[in-house]
Amino acid sequence: MANYFNTLTLRQQLSQLGKCEFMDPSEFSDGSNYLLGKKIVVIGCGSQGLNQGLNLRDSGLDVSYTLREAAITEQRQSWKNATENGFAVGTYAELIPGADLVLNLTPDKQHGAVVTEVVPLMKQNSCLSYSHGFNIVEEGMHIRSDITVIMVAPKCPGTEVREEYKRGFGVPTLIAVHEDNDPRAEGLAIAKAYAAGTGGHRAGVLMSSFIAEVKSDLMGEQTILCGMLQTGSLLCFDKMVENGVEPGYAAKLVQYGWETVGEALKHGGITNMMDRLSNPAKIRAFELAQEMKDIMRPLYLKHMDDIMTGDFSSGMMDDWANGDKKLLDWRKETGETVFESTESSDPEIPEQEYFDHGILMVAMVKAGVELAFETMTSAGIKEESAYYESLHETPLIANLIARKKLFEMNSIISDTAEYGCYLYNHACQPLLSDFMAKVDTDVIGRGLGLNDFYVDNHRLIEVNAAIRNHPVEAVGKTLRAHMRAMKKIV
Amino acid sequence: MNTIEFNRATIRFNESFSLADIEWRIAPREIWAITGANGSGKSALVATLAGKGEIMSGSIEGIPPGVGVVSLEAQAELIERERERDDSDITDEISQGTPVAQMLDEVSTNSDLLDRLIEMFRFAPLLGRGFRKLSTGETRKVLLTRALTCDPEMLVLDNPFEGLDADTVPQVREMLRQKSNEITMVLVFNRFDEIPDFVTHIVYLENGSIKYKIETRDSSAVEALSQLLHLKKTDIEIPKADLNEKIPVLDDSSPLVRIRNASIRYGQNTVFQNLDWCIWPQQHWQLTGPNGSGKTCLLNLITGDHPQSYSNDIFVFGYQRGSGESIWDIKQYIGYVSTSLLWEYRVSINLINVVISGFYDSIGLYNEASASEKRIALQWLRLLGLEGQADQPFNCLSYGEQRLLLIARAMVKHPPLLILDEPCLGLDDINRQLILALIEKICLGSESTVLYVNHHAEDKIKGIKYHLSLG
Repeated sequence: MANYFNTLTLRQQLSQLGKCEFMDPSEFSDGSNYLLGKKIVVIGCGSQGLNQGLNLRDSGLDVSYTLREAAITEQRQSWKNATENGFAVGTYAELIPGADLVLNLTPDKQHGAVVTEVVPLMKQNSCLSYSHGFNIVEEGMHIRSDITVIMVAPKCPGTEVREEYKRGFGVPTLIAVHEDNDPRAEGLAIAKAYAAGTGGHRAGVLMSSFIAEVKSDLMGEQTILCGMLQTGSLLCFDKMVENGVEPGYAAKLVQYGWETVGEALKHGGITNMMDRLSNPAKIRAFELAQEMKDIMRPLYLKHMDDIMTGDFSSGMMDDWANGDKKLLDWRKETGETVFESTESSDPEIPEQEYFDHGILMVAMVKAGVELAFETMTSAGIKEESAYYESLHETPLIANLIARKKLFEMNSIISDTAEYGCYLYNHACQPLLSDFMAKVDTDVIGRGLGLNDFYVDNHRLIEVNAAIRNHPVEAVGKTLRAHMRAMKKIV
Repeated sequence: MNTIEFNRATIRFNESFSLADIEWRIAPREIWAITGANGSGKSALVATLAGKGEIMSGSIEGIPPGVGVVSLEAQAELIERERERDDSDITDEISQGTPVAQMLDEVSTNSDLLDRLIEMFRFAPLLGRGFRKLSTGETRKVLLTRALTCDPEMLVLDNPFEGLDADTVPQVREMLRQKSNEITMVLVFNRFDEIPDFVTHIVYLENGSIKYKIETRDSSAVEALSQLLHLKKTDIEIPKADLNEKIPVLDDSSPLVRIRNASIRYGQNTVFQNLDWCIWPQQHWQLTGPNGSGKTCLLNLITGDHPQSYSNDIFVFGYQRGSGESIWDIKQYIGYVSTSLLWEYRVSINLINVVISGFYDSIGLYNEASASEKRIALQWLRLLGLEGQADQPFNCLSYGEQRLLLIARAMVKHPPLLILDEPCLGLDDINRQLILALIEKICLGSESTVLYVNHHAEDKIKGIKYHLSLG
């Protein structure tokens, strides 16, 4: 199979990358009626699978689950999840041939194998849905031409997809139609009805393409999301310990700092995150971020280029074929860092202190989000996609680090994200080494320790304007307005 | 244990609530009962004994290290801990939660007592079940067992009998009576008639301050306090429905609800089976049954919140379940309040919007409210004495006040079916009388059919003639 993106002409590539529009709520006035009475069969009953299925059924749709024969005969957890919730369960051979719509909600890495097994069983003129386009775009999977291929991807974990639905709301959702597989021109109607069935239409739906989703997702996860936070964790922790900050405190400041900072980001973007700092600290963070952006820009460009040419995915797939050798080695390496093995100290750190003592971390988040956003948009990806794959997801990964630190964070995220995260980290740490040699504990670990908070008015106005006028802030403001039900991450 | 002393202590809990100038001495083996209206600071006062709140001035001294606590706050912390342990959002695997046995083992030091309580509470079949899968009453029993078996020097119990079935209350009271000779206790009661006779002192709180402290030996003082708490509100006027709301009209000749041969099963465990139930318009029902008999499960079959609604034969409001209707088609006919709703209502929202959300059956408000909806919601806030706080955040209210608001939310649209699952839990005497009077009025009217669950024999409602008993 060849990389699908590379088979397209430049014109087609640009048009696919540039696809991403916020859909008007009126487009969903028909709700999920298009799928009423159709047979929906879900493959996989993990958290996404189960919770999406529960929502679809509560929206009046006919949902059942198909599992591997062994999972059924051994009554594994996935079988229990489905049956205890009153769903019919059957093998691929029993359920797939009757399905009008098959939802593939298995982990990304299994897509190739699952799709190869399932498609021959699917009936003529049915529809296959993905939640991530890697298999189509990077692995170049061809699906039988009578089958419609769509993507519906809620931008939140499965538990939240369910919880928001029960509240009468939903989570932001991305939909796409694979243009090579839309023989009856009904892909969009199916995707819209599916998104409405999960409640996504109430929180905002982005119409994108398989290509824009894959390329922006890869870029976001390996740079700002997992990469920057991993590199930042290691650099900040080592710096503090080197300069005499108590290691338990340093570990705690890093482990929970991203989450605290991310929470401010989630609610009010970079502007609000920066506003949580005192005026002198804000100016310091701004300047640090500017400096880091200049240093890291070539690295972000390289990641974007490798993703676009397919070099990244072919390198990674070579490693898959080689039994994940590199991935597992790198994972082990992360587990052996001092940060990972240092126990966080007990005393609570007050919420504001995470900002006051974590000025450098705030600067890293700002630099990473803005760079990822700028790099993606300059490569032809629309601002809305770039926002979701950079700023929007940062708090989710930050929350993961708070709960699990780095080693487990890496084991939990997709293998694709993990592999890219290590590539980024290996390049970024040396890149920032001169910069890190210059900074001290006033920006990471101890705070500025000022009695006088004097700032020059003109400089402050300049800095505030630069923060607020960055394009990620404008698009973020619009998109966040659609997610009024912001709640604290549990 | 030493004497605990509050010296002119002012303790802050959040932006809108502090306890002011608390003077209080608790000597060893005294048994204190704390009373007061919803929002007066009862739960806050006992929370200080568990180290909560920020002391702004004065001091609190002598709190022993071993305190056994039962409160909604402690319950919320355990639920929150379970949420934090639940990694299903990141592992994509469904979590089963911490089993009851482990919840008990992790704190219990007195295994004899633990065995006795497991028997008394009939816990044996529940030991393997996840904490969050328990019913309201079962959850309370787990908390009580944890508090009693950790060998505390002091017990702090915020409404110890709340949510327990009628059979269990006397047993728990007896157990506390035995303990009262050995340790100090501070007990909160929303209902004056629940205060047990072994209580030695009563505190009455008002607006975050101690208004009265009396000894129970002083019977005339007790009598005076009891009268104070029973001042009745008169002339209740239920705010009208919104004439602009268009709930599709139901066919009077068919039942609101018809359940045939229903069963609920989790693995090998059957909660109930072969259950038939038919609810016709204007037939008001009371539902009773011991903790864990499946009352809430049954109600959730009607509301559509139970996933096994789809594997049972259920007809509601003209829809046969599983025939293409959505749960919002069902919920538009229902007003609903329960303890689990209190836990689910975790969104940042102000008071008036909580009431308005009843028009939309949502948790949180995602629609633009109309002028008439706002007007009606304000009338409800006035009825509850909360109109001055319309813009305050919901999560700053006490649990009792939150429940009052959720009751208003359930009633606001005058739903064809009003489901009240133990609505009076956590309410003080005056608010309880208000709510019972409201329910009675609704039963006499012709708009709503009432389905009422409760454990308290005293909380009977005139006008409810039908009765279903589970378990």
